[in-house]
Amino acid sequence: MNRITSKITAILTLVFISVFSVFTFFGKKKDFSVDENRPLAASPTVKAAELYDGRTAERLDSYVTDHFAGRSRWLVGSTLMQKELSESIVNGVYVSRERLINAESDLKSEPASSADIFDSFAENYSGMVYFAAIPTSAGVYGDVLPSHITGRSESQQISDLYEALDGDIRKIDAYNILKMLKDNYIYYRSDTKWTSYGAYCVYKTVIQKLGIIPTTYDKFSIEHVTDSFRGNLYNRTMSKAPRADIMDIFEYREGAEVTSCIVVRRDGINAEGKIFDKSRLETGDMYSMYLGEPVPVMRITTSANTDKKLLVVKDSFADCFIPFLLQHYSEITVVDPSVMSGGMSKYVDADEYEQTLFLFGIDSLGDRKMLSKIIE
Amino acid sequence: MVYSSLLFIYGFLPVSLLLYYITPKKLREMALLFLSVVFCCLISLYFLIFVVVFAAVNYIFMHLISLSRRSEKVAAVPLAAGIIIDFIAVFAFRTEYFTWLHRMIRAPESFYPVGISFFVLGAIGTLIDVYKGRIKADRNMVRFALYIMFFPRLIMGPLLRYRVFTNILNNRRETLSGMGVGMTVFIKGLAKKVIAADNLYMLYTAAKSAPVKEISALTAWLGAAAYILCLYFVLSGFADMGTGIAYLYGLKFPQSFNYPLLSTRLRYFAARWQSQVIQWLRRYITKPIYGVCRKRWMREAVFISGWAIFGFWYTVDINGAVWGAIIGTAVIIENRLLKKKIMNFSGIIYTFLTVLICGVFLSSDTLGYSVRYLFAMVGGNGAIADAQGFYLFKSYIVLILVSMYASTDLFRNLMTRSGRGKAKKVIMAVSPVLVLAVLMVCTALMSYSGSSDMLLMKL
Repeated sequence: MNRITSKITAILTLVFISVFSVFTFFGKKKDFSVDENRPLAASPTVKAAELYDGRTAERLDSYVTDHFAGRSRWLVGSTLMQKELSESIVNGVYVSRERLINAESDLKSEPASSADIFDSFAENYSGMVYFAAIPTSAGVYGDVLPSHITGRSESQQISDLYEALDGDIRKIDAYNILKMLKDNYIYYRSDTKWTSYGAYCVYKTVIQKLGIIPTTYDKFSIEHVTDSFRGNLYNRTMSKAPRADIMDIFEYREGAEVTSCIVVRRDGINAEGKIFDKSRLETGDMYSMYLGEPVPVMRITTSANTDKKLLVVKDSFADCFIPFLLQHYSEITVVDPSVMSGGMSKYVDADEYEQTLFLFGIDSLGDRKMLSKIIE
Repeated sequence: MVYSSLLFIYGFLPVSLLLYYITPKKLREMALLFLSVVFCCLISLYFLIFVVVFAAVNYIFMHLISLSRRSEKVAAVPLAAGIIIDFIAVFAFRTEYFTWLHRMIRAPESFYPVGISFFVLGAIGTLIDVYKGRIKADRNMVRFALYIMFFPRLIMGPLLRYRVFTNILNNRRETLSGMGVGMTVFIKGLAKKVIAADNLYMLYTAAKSAPVKEISALTAWLGAAAYILCLYFVLSGFADMGTGIAYLYGLKFPQSFNYPLLSTRLRYFAARWQSQVIQWLRRYITKPIYGVCRKRWMREAVFISGWAIFGFWYTVDINGAVWGAIIGTAVIIENRLLKKKIMNFSGIIYTFLTVLICGVFLSSDTLGYSVRYLFAMVGGNGAIADAQGFYLFKSYIVLILVSMYASTDLFRNLMTRSGRGKAKKVIMAVSPVLVLAVLMVCTALMSYSGSSDMLLMKL
C-alpha cells in the first residue's frame, strides 16, 4: 500500500516537472511580456569571465524564470495565495480591492539631495524656473498602510526638497491639491501615476503660477478611450483585485490646434510625434497613449495666439499633463532626461525659452544620475 | 543556485535524473560527482575551483596523517595543520578579518562559498577520525570529493560523518518508491522554505523595521516568534530538500530535525534541534573532555560550552555564543529541578517560550540590542500593543498558528496512529495529489523572482 502510494507520487510529480521543464526549454519564446510590460531576459551566452564569478548562473536563472511555461498564470496564482499568506503585500505592492499601492520605496537617494542640480540650472538660466514634484499614489493613498511600510511620507520628501531648492525657483504645491481631492478619480487604481483629471487639477494651479488663466473644466470634451487599462502596479502583481482603469482624453475643441509635433527619437532621428497615440492602446504599454513612446525631445508648435515659449523637463508623470498646456503657448518643448543619451544641452538651448517647468514624480527625483543630465 | 528555485527544480533536477539513470550502475558514483561539479559550476566557476581545492587539500592531509600514524606525535603535525587550514577557510568567509586573503585568492566580489560551515565540519571530523584510527584513509578520490561537494548536502544539507556517508553510498538502491519518498520529502522541505519561512521572514523584517526603542510588546513578541519559526523552517527546510534529493538518487540520508520546536522538555529540544551538528560537536569536542571531568558540575560546564560553540557556529559572534550558553544552562537547570514527568501541554508552552526568548539573542547583532529587545517584549517601551502590532497580528496570526502546528509531530502521530483503518486508506489515496498540489503552490510562489534564496543566516 505504502509502496504504491510512493510510486504514484514519484510518477505524478516527476511527470509534472518534466512536462513543465520541456515546455520551458523547448516551448515558443517571447521577447516581451505584455502582462508585465517589460522585455524578457535573452538566452544567456557562456563567457569565461561571467562563468567564473557566477553571472552566467544568474542569467540562466532569470532566463528560466522569465520564460517559465505559463509564467503569467503562475503569477496570478502567486498573487492570490501571497495575499492570504501574509499582509496582502505582493512583490512590494499592497493589494486591496480598492487599489494597488506601491509599498516599497525604490528611491535611490533622498530627493532633497538632488536640489543642487536644479539650483545650478536656475543659476545659469535667464528665464523663470517653475518646479512641481508630484506624489505617487502611495503618497496620497498610502495612509491606509501601517507606518513601517510607507516609511518617510512623500509629503515630507516633497517639502524637504522644496526647502532645499533655491528661493528663485517657483514651487507648486501639488501634494496638497491632490490630497484634498483624494475622493475623486485622480489616481489610477493599478498605477502609481495620476489620471488626466488629477493632472487637470494641478494644471489649474500651475498655469496660474505661470501667469495665465486656466481653461475651465466645462470647456473640455472628455473621451473615455479605454476602460481596461492596467498600470505598472498590475505589471508587478498581475492582480485584478481592483477594477480596471479608465483612460481619458481631454480635448478643448474650440482652442488652439497643434500645427506640428516633431520628436527626436532615442536613436537621434527626427520623426513625427503625436499628442495622443491611440495605436498604443493595443500594446502592453497603454499609458504611452499620452505623447507616444518615450523620446528625449518633443517639439510642439500650436496655433495659439501668443508668442510665448515653454520648456518642460519631465518624467512620465507629465505625459498626460502636457496636453493641457497646449492652449497657452505657441511652442512647447518637452524634454525627458531618462531616455536621453548624454546631456540636455546637446538637444536644446534652454535660453530660447523664457519659462522652464520641471515636472517630476517624486519617485524619480531620487535618481541623481538621470537628473544630472539636465545640467550636462 | 539554491534548491528552492525554478532553475533547479525544472532545469537541473530532471536533466540530472535523466543523466543519472541512463548511466550504467557501476559508474553512477562518477555520475553523481559529475553532477555535483555541474551544480557547483551553476553557482560559479570560482566556487567549483574553491571546493575542488578544498577537497584536494583535505585529501592530501588525510593521507599524510594516515602515513605518519605509526607515531602519534608525528601524525599530530599534519592533523593540526589540516584543521588550522580548514578553520581559516571558514573564518575567512564568515568574518571580516580576512579581506587580505580574499584578495590573495582572487575571490570575486561578494563571493561566499555557500554551505562552507557544513563541509568544513565534515572535513575536520574526517581528519580526526583518521588520526584516531576510527576509519582508514580512503584512497577513492571520487568518494572523498563527493563527500565534500555532493550537491544534495552542499547547501545546509545534513552533516554526515565520512563513514556514515560511505555506508549510505554502499547501500545505494534506486527504486521508484524510493523516488516517491524523495519527492515527498523534497516538496515538504520546499514548502517549509517557500510557504512558511519566506512569509515569516516578512513578518520578522516588518517587526524589526521600527527602532527598538519604539516597538510595542505585541510587535516584539510577534517578531521573536517569527524569527525562531523562520529559523526552524529555513534550516529544516533545506535539510529536508537535501535529504529528499538524495533519495531520488537512491541514497538514504538521516533526518536532521525531529520536530524540536514544540517539545515537552527543553532537553528534548536540545536533542532534536539540528541533531547532526550537535552530535558532531559531542563526538569531536565535548565527549573527549567529558572523560577527564569527574565532577558533575564540570561536566555541566562542558555541556554548556558545547552549546555555546554551537551557537557560535551559527553566527560567528558573541551573540550566538550567548544564545548557546543560555540554552545549555537552561537544559542543565531543567535537569536539576525538573525530575518528575511534566504535563505535555505546560511542557510544550514552557519549552517554546524559553526557545523563543533565547532566540532574541541569536537574531540580533549586538548584545545591547538583544537586551533592549527583551525590554520591549515585557512592555518596557510603555506600549503593550499599537496600531502596527495589531496590523501584523491580524495579518500573520493564521500563518503563525499554522506553522506552529506544522512544526510539531502531531500530524505525523495522527498518521501513524490511524493504523489500518479506512482513514489511512483515504490519506494514502490523497497524498500523491496533495504532494503535487503543494509543488504547484510552491512553484507559483516562486514564479515572480524565480527562486527563494533567503537563507536567514550564512552557514
